[in-house]
Amino acid sequence: MTAMTTDLCIVGGGSFGSALAMIAAAQGHRVRMWVRREQQANEINQAHTNGAYLGEARLPDHLQATTDMQLAVQGATVVLMAIPSKSFREVARTVGEHLRGDQLLVHATKGIEAATFARMSQILREETCALKIGVLSGPNLAAELMQGHPSGSVIASPYDEVVHGVQALFSHSHLRVYGGRDVVGVEVGGAFKNIIAIAAGVADGLGFGDNARSLVITRGLSEMAWLGTHLGADVFTFGGLAGIGDLVATCNSKLSRNHRVGERLALGKDLDTILRELKFTAEGVPTTDAVHRRAAAAGLHLPICQAVYSVLFDGKNATGAFGELMRLPVGDELSTLRYR
Amino acid sequence: MGGYQVNRKDKERVQVEVVQRVLDEVGTDAQRVEQAVFDTLYEERKRLETEPDGPSKSEQLAFYERMHTRSLRMDVQSQRKALKQITHRFVQEVTGHFDPRVYALSTRLVPVGLNLLLNALSPIKLVQSIPLGMSDLEEQFEVSGHVQRVKSLAQKATLVMVPTHSSNLDSILMGYAIWRMGLPPHLYGAGLNLFSNKLIGFFMHNLGAYRVDRRKKAKIYKDVLKAYAGCSMELGYHNLFFPGGTRSRSGRVEQGLKLGLLGMGLDAYVRNLIEKKVRPDIFVVPCTINYELVLEAETLIADYLKEAGKARYIIEDDEFSKPKVILDFTKKLFSLQSKIHVVLGEPLDVFGNRVDDDGVSRDFRDRPIDRTRYVIKNGIVQLDAQRDGEYTRELAHAIVQSYRKHTMLKTTNVLCHVVFRWLQEKSQGMDLYRLLRTGGAEESIPIPEAYGRIDKVREALRRLADRERVRLDLPLREFETPTLVHYALAHLSSYHRRAAIERRGDRLFHEDRNLIYFYQNRLDGHVAELQAELS
Repeated sequence: MTAMTTDLCIVGGGSFGSALAMIAAAQGHRVRMWVRREQQANEINQAHTNGAYLGEARLPDHLQATTDMQLAVQGATVVLMAIPSKSFREVARTVGEHLRGDQLLVHATKGIEAATFARMSQILREETCALKIGVLSGPNLAAELMQGHPSGSVIASPYDEVVHGVQALFSHSHLRVYGGRDVVGVEVGGAFKNIIAIAAGVADGLGFGDNARSLVITRGLSEMAWLGTHLGADVFTFGGLAGIGDLVATCNSKLSRNHRVGERLALGKDLDTILRELKFTAEGVPTTDAVHRRAAAAGLHLPICQAVYSVLFDGKNATGAFGELMRLPVGDELSTLRYR
Repeated sequence: MGGYQVNRKDKERVQVEVVQRVLDEVGTDAQRVEQAVFDTLYEERKRLETEPDGPSKSEQLAFYERMHTRSLRMDVQSQRKALKQITHRFVQEVTGHFDPRVYALSTRLVPVGLNLLLNALSPIKLVQSIPLGMSDLEEQFEVSGHVQRVKSLAQKATLVMVPTHSSNLDSILMGYAIWRMGLPPHLYGAGLNLFSNKLIGFFMHNLGAYRVDRRKKAKIYKDVLKAYAGCSMELGYHNLFFPGGTRSRSGRVEQGLKLGLLGMGLDAYVRNLIEKKVRPDIFVVPCTINYELVLEAETLIADYLKEAGKARYIIEDDEFSKPKVILDFTKKLFSLQSKIHVVLGEPLDVFGNRVDDDGVSRDFRDRPIDRTRYVIKNGIVQLDAQRDGEYTRELAHAIVQSYRKHTMLKTTNVLCHVVFRWLQEKSQGMDLYRLLRTGGAEESIPIPEAYGRIDKVREALRRLADRERVRLDLPLREFETPTLVHYALAHLSSYHRRAAIERRGDRLFHEDRNLIYFYQNRLDGHVAELQAELS
């Protein structure tokens, strides 16, 4: 049991939310999860498992789940949203019905709202009264977190209270939670890496080797930083856990959903089939659409994002798209960043 | 405590409290106290070196020299005493001499016309020369926006009025606007240059102004100003200040605000809650002041375009320092039937949330917010410098958004925008300074071309206005295009030393591009939306 016990509410019963709930509960914090389905809540409360996302992994006995948002949110010191970007606004609005200004509101969603290009923290500001808002991100594959393998995250917020509060909740011997201020950078990093993970999956699916994957990762990082700085991020953020850190983990991992999407695209499967087979949300798909539109409107040159978009939505074949990328004129490697 | 009368007892209370807060901020650490004393003495002696000779300078120099000599031999206790003495001196300087009886007199005088007001030789003479009745200003000055809500909230809470700032006339007009709305007077920190004109100084004091000497760079002095504003808010006195810090040099509506003074509203609110005051609330009212012509436009834009580092934070020799120029300006403006608009935005709480008629904070979904919760930490209401600094950024962001929404564009802004864009198009690749200096490739724009472009821009602006993204002045919204251009040209050629744009035959000639740039910059905050509408 830790010296300071915090009341944490995790909104979302997916794999990452469950993994975070388990880490905090294991630290002795009082954790309540909000889940959409009664059946899932019963499973967590009675069998102490969350089979759909965590297999047979056993959750702490005192971890409680509910479908009642009011019950989940009221009384919590920290509310953490781990909800797919697609339904993020709708759920945030419900959270907003019950939230108060002294509560800390954090999200761990790596996506961008497709229709508006809003970042998740912007949605939280629009849909709730919360001001003390933050984002938790980094190379945190849920399965590895559940197994207790060492990992690192970053919590970014302009508010010290949020940074320190979240660090106290999740830091333990297997997870190092670093603090930061750059909310924009951390959110862009978390969202954009999913696009690059699809590209890396395509490269792997086409049978290319480590060189190709490394090329995708580093040029992807450059595009990420280009977009991020355009939106007001600090370029150094992309050298951290939420940038290169997450990118390397996602692009090298067979566990990554987005990577799996890329691999299957390379094998010639169509997107609808892939998403149906995958069963889970692959954030990289709507994010690619959103970023592609924003880049076009702002005149940003993001060739990997463009190539992924053409494979996902224009029916271009993966080999052709990769070939086109390789034929682009080459220039100064860091020119897009150096003169900012 | 009501916001209307500032009585002697309050004034003394504020003075004592301000000194104490500033000293508390420095603390008791010997090194910090010593640094505060020496820094202040250094800054003040440096400032006095450039002051013109006179009895005031001699007295101040003697004081600071004496302090300096003594401070070298002081222990920490004596240094704290010295700091207290200096701080007290600053507080005395800053405090205004507000007199409600004179306030009533001065506000009766203002409506008879700025021209008379500003041209008068002395207050006494002015009083004798004023006829009663409807004034120019009455007709040509309009206050709109959330007036009723502001009036209603003034009864329930302390207001902090935060207008945009483009002219020294702003403070006089705001004083008048506050009176015309029937609001109690607001305290505000006016630059010393406003007091240097004896007549205006008279009104400045009486409209609730206190003196701010922006030549004073010492941190202690700035702390005094902040603490004075904060303490007066806590006592329920409405305040007014320009959060941009200084007049907009470029002509743009403020996009970055000074957070120091702005944060005092939150500071006062938290202290009120801690003290469990009956009326703890402090609401911020963003407002825009909109002119067809700006009195000091030529000086401001010239200063803006100076090389980096050479621009002046304080300008003392501009159009405002010349009564004849002010007179000329007001005469011209009024003879053209030009309206000056003050638009009040929605009142905000100190966290940037909008506030309804009943004083309830509302989120973006219009749900009520218990705002006291924002300042509760570990179950108790408390100040937290880091957190509160961020809250103030939220407030600043909300104010800037409000400015954008409630900017009332005028015909001069749109004509200058169209001409400037056309110049840029014709001289693509040319840097701004060269373009302004040379005018680029074309010296004039054909009238039909200008009309066509104005029509398009105006249509796009109308759509934005319909979505409440900006406001359009009546002539801009309603006039036929030739009339609109004529109206704008009449303004641009009426007062400035040189017409910014002149019509000769069927062409418009760009004569003073700096001014064109200045007036078109007012649209700057809307350019992205405007481009989206046009495309």
